[in-house]
Amino acid sequence: MITSMRSGRFVALALLPSLLLYCFFVIVPVFWSAYYGFFEWSGVGATKGIGLQNYAEALQDPVFWRALKNNLIIVAASIFGQVPIALVLAILLNKNSLFHRFVRSAVFMPMVLSTVVVGLIWGYIYHPQFGLVNFVLEAVGLDNWTRGWLSDPDVNMYAVAVPIIWNFIGPYLIMFVAAIQNIPSEIDDACLIDGAIGRKKLLLVTLPMIWNMIKVVIVLCIAGSLKAFDQVFVMTGGGPAQSTELLATYMYNNTFNIYRYGYGSAVSTLIVIISMLMIGVSQVLMRGKES
Amino acid sequence: MKFKKAWVLSASALAALVLLSACGSGNGNNGGGSADTGSAPADEPKVELSIWHNFSGDDLRAQTMRGLIEQYVAAHPEVKVDVQAIPPDGYKQRLKTVAAANEMPDLFLSNPGSMIAEFYNGDLLQPIGDLLEQYPEWRDGFLPGAFEGHTFDGEIYAAPVNLSPSSIMYYNHSLFEQYDVKVPTTWDELMTAIETFNANGITPISMGNKAAWVAQSTIIGTLADRVTGSEWFLSAVEQDGAAFTDPQFVEALGYFKQLADAEAFQDGANSIDNTQAEQYFIQGNAAMTLGGTWTLTNLAATASEEALEQVGVTVFPAIPGGAGDPNTITASTGQGFAMNKDVTGAQREAALDLIYTISGPEAQQQIAQSNTLVNYQVEVDPAKVTPLFNKTYELVTSVGFTPIYDAYLSSAGTEAVNNGLQELMLGGDPETVAQKIQNAQAEAVGN
Amino acid sequence: MPESTTAARLQPAPRRRWPRPGVTLTNTAMLLYALATLYPLIWLFQSAFKTNQNFFEKPFALPDTWVIENITRAWALSDMGRATLNSTIVTGSAIVLTVLLGALTAFVLSRFRFKGRTLLSGVFLLGMLIPIHSTLVPLFIMMNQAGILNTYWALILPYTSFELPLAIFIMAAYMSAIPKEIEEAAIIDGSGYWGIFVRMIFPLTLPAISTVAILAFLRYWNDFAFALVFINEPSLKTIPLSLAIFSDGFGTDYALTMAAMAISVVPTIVIFLIFQEQIMKGMVAGAVKG
Repeated sequence: MITSMRSGRFVALALLPSLLLYCFFVIVPVFWSAYYGFFEWSGVGATKGIGLQNYAEALQDPVFWRALKNNLIIVAASIFGQVPIALVLAILLNKNSLFHRFVRSAVFMPMVLSTVVVGLIWGYIYHPQFGLVNFVLEAVGLDNWTRGWLSDPDVNMYAVAVPIIWNFIGPYLIMFVAAIQNIPSEIDDACLIDGAIGRKKLLLVTLPMIWNMIKVVIVLCIAGSLKAFDQVFVMTGGGPAQSTELLATYMYNNTFNIYRYGYGSAVSTLIVIISMLMIGVSQVLMRGKES
Repeated sequence: MKFKKAWVLSASALAALVLLSACGSGNGNNGGGSADTGSAPADEPKVELSIWHNFSGDDLRAQTMRGLIEQYVAAHPEVKVDVQAIPPDGYKQRLKTVAAANEMPDLFLSNPGSMIAEFYNGDLLQPIGDLLEQYPEWRDGFLPGAFEGHTFDGEIYAAPVNLSPSSIMYYNHSLFEQYDVKVPTTWDELMTAIETFNANGITPISMGNKAAWVAQSTIIGTLADRVTGSEWFLSAVEQDGAAFTDPQFVEALGYFKQLADAEAFQDGANSIDNTQAEQYFIQGNAAMTLGGTWTLTNLAATASEEALEQVGVTVFPAIPGGAGDPNTITASTGQGFAMNKDVTGAQREAALDLIYTISGPEAQQQIAQSNTLVNYQVEVDPAKVTPLFNKTYELVTSVGFTPIYDAYLSSAGTEAVNNGLQELMLGGDPETVAQKIQNAQAEAVGN
Repeated sequence: MPESTTAARLQPAPRRRWPRPGVTLTNTAMLLYALATLYPLIWLFQSAFKTNQNFFEKPFALPDTWVIENITRAWALSDMGRATLNSTIVTGSAIVLTVLLGALTAFVLSRFRFKGRTLLSGVFLLGMLIPIHSTLVPLFIMMNQAGILNTYWALILPYTSFELPLAIFIMAAYMSAIPKEIEEAAIIDGSGYWGIFVRMIFPLTLPAISTVAILAFLRYWNDFAFALVFINEPSLKTIPLSLAIFSDGFGTDYALTMAAMAISVVPTIVIFLIFQEQIMKGMVAGAVKG
């Protein structure tokens, strides 16, 4: 860490452009939107200040809580699904051989597809009539396991979570690979000399060295999962009967479909607050582990 | 060694980035500049007009609508028209955003009923009644009730450019023949048909209710109207002497639940989209499907002629003891172009002219020939449209129209109906669903 | 198994040997997983060449006849040429801005200690949590006032701002693992902070920068919400708007949609492969040194 007095001017100068841009385009709109949350407003015409009523209504709406629960399913799926898979792949795949390059690229490919394609193909995989999942189940004699995977409220949230995990392993894999590259080769050499290899090396050297990246990835998982929108929007639209509603689809529907702009803004502010809380908690938990 | 290599790399990367940035910002300025300065050529147009619509696709109707606007642009060099064809999936979102920022276009396509009402209530529109007065023969050419969804306080705010029946029952002739089933005209016959088809592994009714408006628009509107009659519905919408918790509406929801319980719809109907359901029908997997004119367009674009020949059209069966007229189809007035309140003077003249060009008598004729039903008396030349369109046209002109739910209910009420129907299909209880619909509508009307 | 790894490491000469069962199993599993993740892309390309009828009848099969026309029609109807140019300009400029500003900010946040550092990190973190749809109206009003609506800047600046938090976090995490001795040596050599950033940290961070660039590219190239609302001028429209025109709310022309998407995905794949090479170059350099 550089702490000298001389650095002050540099710090200010270096931060200025990003801070300006960021404040103007992100921070101001966020607070502006939070402000809309205090109004009853359809998005056009007159507004009526109603204090905290929108926020209170959201917190009393069972659909809001269902959406939050669904978001938590996705958070859990990302942290306990995406992160370990990406980590294992990154450790296995850090050679530059043709095969490793191929697998790395392949794992990333779902990311390049537009969510519409992802939604469509998973729609076909889960399709109640000619879907792959039901076909396989029938082929192995599990006929009574077949169902409308996206329409049955008992399972559809989990069904939706699978494509989301699958979709986003790629970027985390790349981040882990980049972090592993960053481990100075002296440490590799030192390991060899000390005889720290295999699992031992992984636990004692690799994981601690990329622990920062793991923390970042977990924060990204939480942030990404709580504002998740696209995949669910194209696969189920939050339905049927709001069974796969997420906070962001709930917000979107209120804002743009049923013309409750003020309420939608309040929900969106709640999303930010809940995310902050969860990330705060996760930071505290991970700090404990670190020491 | 390592440093040197990295340095070369980064230097070249930086150079590339700088180049990119230079060219990027240069173009950015040009792009922005041309948008601003484009209005300053030698013979400067006096009037500027902006018009937004969502006919962005490649289908016949979209082409026709764009053609009509181009026709106006070509005939009026003195008017600079800024035409925006916005992808339908984002149309509402775009319009909502500019409305919230008070930057509405001069003319924009709006759905009748709740959508145009939102803008009317926000005091963003002005009536176009004087245009209709100016061309009385045009005004009188519209079918009865054509302006209903666009009228507020006795003033007309848009002229429909299409007619949108939403609950035409399409059925597959050969499947009905093969299993010796009568095309149902009563509830009992419908239930018998459902039973027979199910016994033979044929889906009775194909429905793609992922976007939850489908069951509402194509089934419940008609089904409930058979039970309750239109008057009850209109009173319930106003929350004036009728409520959605009334027994007749709960009964109607019960009928819908009966359909779901009898497995009238294919498994997982709530997870597949409308296009997929239509394809499922046209491939002969299902005996019936309900839909509007969009079904015609979609099928015409994707199905073989032999398949289309199998398709017949009729109305939803009658329900015993119901208060409504069974020989009806739900239909909405159709979309029309609404005018921004701030348009005045010469600009307003031009805007009215444009409206007349794209929804006047000749325009209606052209639109009808793009296999689109219009809310206007036209002679359709059978040679210029598809046979299935002709059949549908005959059916639609021989029946009465009843209100479509989402054209009259508030947006929140519509959302409650949409979700409620999905809930019923998942085993929900009609009374609970009715209560939710009532709450949503009452709250919206109360505002 | 650890023993054999050591053996291989210590005696690099005889590389050829029978693969061990554990490795074969892992590799097979990875191959299968790779194919599973690759399949949707293949599916997209095969579907792009089908007729609508064929698409619905046999969603998983190869096309009955390969309809090349889909591609040409989709290209022409949606004005993809113009859209591709616009997307390239917007995406390219926004990536440059994101990487430069992001790296600089990450450098300061990760390697300097100053008052308000934690708070600042928190403020940037906030940006990752925002559902973008709620910012549309405020942003529209602000950019309208600023007069940049309907220019490339109306996309470049919001894109950059919304991607900055992610960029900063990834790069800062990466930079904080670079040994401190590097700056100390540089300071002794008399390099200023700008010099350290440009000549040492930036090059050393290339793998993370490439990661950020890939993610930013994907976000910018595929963004629909901002492009829909902030751009009026048809000649400034970006690709996602072109992809959306074949669906009208009642039905979708899947053949043309798939064809347009297949066109738009090609640059994405190329960019990914280029930047992935950059990520791995870090490793090659390390290997040379080791």
